[in-house]
Amino acid sequence: MAKMKLTTRGVSSTTIGLVVVLVIVVVAAGAYIAVTGVGTTTTTTVISTVTTTATSTVTAVSTSTSTSVSTSTSVSTSTFTSSETTNTNISATLLEDGSSLLYPAFNLWIANFSQYYPNVHITTGSGGSGKGISEAAAGTVNIGASDAYLTISQANANPGLLNIPLAISAQQVNYYFGSGNALNKIHLNFSASILAQIYNGTITTWNNPQIAALQSASVAAQLPSTAITPIHRADSSGDTFIFTSYLSAGDQYWNKTYGYGTSPTIIPSGVGITATGNSGMLTALSTTPGGIAYVGISYLNTANQLGFGYAHLQNRAGNFVDITAANIQAAVNARLSSVPTNETASLIYAPGANSYPIVNFEYAIVKTTQPSASILAAVQAFLTWDITRGNLGYFLLQVHFVALPSAVAQLSLTQVASLHT
Amino acid sequence: MRRQRTPENRGDRAYRLATAAVAASIPIFMFAILIFIFQYSLPAIRFNGLGFFTTSSWNLGNLNTAATVVKNGVTGLPGASYGVIGLLVGTLFSSAIALLIAVPTSIAIALFTAEDAPRVVREPLVALEDLLAGIPSVIYGLWGITVLVPLVQSTIAPGMSKVLGFVPFFGGGTNTGYGLLTCGLILALMVTPIISSTVRESFAKTPSELKEGALALGCTKWEVQRRITIPFSKTTIAGASMLGLGRALGETMAVLMVGGGSYAALPSKIYSPISTMATAIVSLLDSAFQDPTGLALYSLAEVALVLFAVTLAANMAARVFVSGGVTKAFVSRSEA
Amino acid sequence: MKSEKGLSSRKVVDKSVRGLTLLVTLLILAPLFDMIYIIVSNAVPSLSLDMFIHTTVTDGILNAIVGSLFLVLLSSVIAVSLGVFSGVYLAEFGGRSASFIRFFADVLTGVPSIVVGYFGYIVFVLYLGWGYSAMAAAIALTIIMIPYVTRTTEFALRKVPSEIKEGSYALGASKATTVNRISFRYAAPGIMTGILIAVSISLGETAPLIYTAYFYNYLPNLALFHSPVGYLTWVIWAFINEPLALAHQQAFVSSFVLMVFVLCLGLGARFLVARWWKS
Repeated sequence: MAKMKLTTRGVSSTTIGLVVVLVIVVVAAGAYIAVTGVGTTTTTTVISTVTTTATSTVTAVSTSTSTSVSTSTSVSTSTFTSSETTNTNISATLLEDGSSLLYPAFNLWIANFSQYYPNVHITTGSGGSGKGISEAAAGTVNIGASDAYLTISQANANPGLLNIPLAISAQQVNYYFGSGNALNKIHLNFSASILAQIYNGTITTWNNPQIAALQSASVAAQLPSTAITPIHRADSSGDTFIFTSYLSAGDQYWNKTYGYGTSPTIIPSGVGITATGNSGMLTALSTTPGGIAYVGISYLNTANQLGFGYAHLQNRAGNFVDITAANIQAAVNARLSSVPTNETASLIYAPGANSYPIVNFEYAIVKTTQPSASILAAVQAFLTWDITRGNLGYFLLQVHFVALPSAVAQLSLTQVASLHT
Repeated sequence: MRRQRTPENRGDRAYRLATAAVAASIPIFMFAILIFIFQYSLPAIRFNGLGFFTTSSWNLGNLNTAATVVKNGVTGLPGASYGVIGLLVGTLFSSAIALLIAVPTSIAIALFTAEDAPRVVREPLVALEDLLAGIPSVIYGLWGITVLVPLVQSTIAPGMSKVLGFVPFFGGGTNTGYGLLTCGLILALMVTPIISSTVRESFAKTPSELKEGALALGCTKWEVQRRITIPFSKTTIAGASMLGLGRALGETMAVLMVGGGSYAALPSKIYSPISTMATAIVSLLDSAFQDPTGLALYSLAEVALVLFAVTLAANMAARVFVSGGVTKAFVSRSEA
Repeated sequence: MKSEKGLSSRKVVDKSVRGLTLLVTLLILAPLFDMIYIIVSNAVPSLSLDMFIHTTVTDGILNAIVGSLFLVLLSSVIAVSLGVFSGVYLAEFGGRSASFIRFFADVLTGVPSIVVGYFGYIVFVLYLGWGYSAMAAAIALTIIMIPYVTRTTEFALRKVPSEIKEGSYALGASKATTVNRISFRYAAPGIMTGILIAVSISLGETAPLIYTAYFYNYLPNLALFHSPVGYLTWVIWAFINEPLALAHQQAFVSSFVLMVFVLCLGLGARFLVARWWKS
């Protein structure tokens, strides 16, 4: 027989439940109130012992490649000074997403930009260039970052979308033979053709004669018989775009069969494994001895720290070139005259004896029409800052980027000025 | 005899209508999702036709021209082709491996927990099992990346290749730990607590007269279990397996983190990287937006439709076998 | 009847099966303990006040914790309101429509969470123009939570002894009063259990949130629309793929916090069930 015990038991259980909910609400509210005003506008000082010469040695800067900016252990004040005064009039919250290659640079820029524009809050993301483009087009972010220019079909579908170069970057091909392996320290020579065959599964082992043929005799002898695991991007990636552009430019078969693009499915499935984001590529490579991956140059320092080797790639002139600022600059110079007003241009496989073959503009994808005056002001301020101050060596050398030539910078500034509400 | 309906007074009627309106939100949500997915995938269904189910590819087509093609009244990019077989195989194989491991394992655990464990141990064991069932799948994925992938790469895969290598599917290169095998293992781990808790309850309900009768006849405990307990719960075991299958089919995050990723290729070996329909939706969504014709998005909706249909089939099968419905199995803890 | 020889071999088989089931149980529990060990051993050294004061921009996870709680709270408010009264309908007013709704609740549990997320993205984020928002995420989570809340409420209400309800009717109370004043009190622990289970499930969800709430590096500004929200499961998923020690620390501490939440909710549910059963 049921006893009328409901009063005491029932009430206390409900009370427990209500108390639990109340506690959660109070804790959340308390934490929020306590930290508001401290957490949101905190800027981190980015450490740099960088000299502004072209061949600078950048000390290990641990730029966190996620949605956070880390400070390294030896905290020092920013050595960047500017006569710019703080502007508190412009106030907005901006969202940025897209290229993981541009991502570390964005975080560097924002850390200093927000000292001069403290009321502009920018959240960055690294969901991949394709995502950056589509989100900018859809209006879910204010600034999309992309290593890839807008394709013809994208441009036609989105007439009000601009691609504005902010800097020049490049891409390396990393490989890993396992911890402590001597081959990690050797720069192997690779051509677009060899890479194309690796990425479509035709070449499957490191000691393949075609690979050996490109190396010096002593290096060729060291190549192991391990299988090659090509790693490619799972997200829609500008790195995939420029890598496959290189493959298409240098290998006829790849150009005809696969082409180039940001889609993860450009590269044939079933060959190798996939990873998300440039940082994911590094992580995957670190657990895959015998792996090879295309990684953005802003992650070169991290790749070096992790003990990966990187390749000397064959350029249009047939030379195997190193990924230095001078070689990247050579590629830019060779292509300078062909940059149109809308700045949709490829810098891949540029002519010139020393031109590095995988070089690209880093684009901000923005809509010509901005939703409000405050957002317009913030976007323009930020983009202008990137193109002018952000292109100084202090920032770019930390990510191995190269500054926009002044002609291109002018075109970019003109595009930024053309934004309106 | 027909129960006599007492006339309902106005207050009760209002209450009934009010709660009915609220309860209607469930079918409304359900239909909203179903209708949306179906309608959104219609263009893709027309464009892809039956080829969607017989080929394996995910090609957005040529993005670098302004030209488009029209097929069956639907616009797409030249060269666009979508086929779900690769994803379907990835989904079904990983779930099949998971079930192959999980069902016998769950029965063993259920037997132990229901029958063998000393009373003191039983309660904590059940609590641990519930805990295992409640762990979010990202954490399974985290553990997968940190522990399971290196383990498969260094020990399990080479070992399996050596022992079973005479079968082509199990032989050969075992380079990375990311692949079908790892997915199957982690899904098995996720699905086991669900199956075993349902089966355990069913075992506990076995009429003791039957068991005691068998014991009286001189059967060992195992023989009792084999001939009485397990057959008695046959339908529940089948139903619980279907439940587990439903869970494994829809699992996204853990498989995304350990699967290796391969959108169109069929796994040639058990160590090959795979994508499932669920992980493909996560990975391919943002690249799908590049297609100005929208066909890629519609095709993803078609993938979602197929995924939904497959999980629905599994859950309905479970419903038939497990009395009281699917949610009951999950909320049965509330009945202790 | 088998011979003596057969008996000993049967005994051997029996004993080996006993051993095997024990072994298998331990084998399944081993990864659970390993999981807890890995998370604890990686998270505890990184636990510091800094982690819980700063946001993900400045090496902490505060925004992820607050964001998770915010999203769960928001979706719980909706899911509990809808779910509890749906459960009332199913328990108190039966009939064909009730079994119709029960069927759909079961179907709804089977919808993969990524499909719910995809639906939420296309419909709420894009088509309705809400952008990445807490509201889109909350609706996605609600869809996932509702069946559990509904069914547990139904079971809990069904367990209310009919004598109590009939006593209330005999005194002239309406159905609404009976349910609200009497049945709820009796069924409260059961209902709370369902809520705790649903909350636990929604805390652990990632796939539906990736495309509805996206991620946010700062504390949620409590706007329901046009403002993304950070949450713990994103930190775990995205940050573990970084080759950087700090990001890993953030991922592990997030896992730790999440596990603590899940554990507390699970224990809370068991505690409630035990007390309820006793009464």
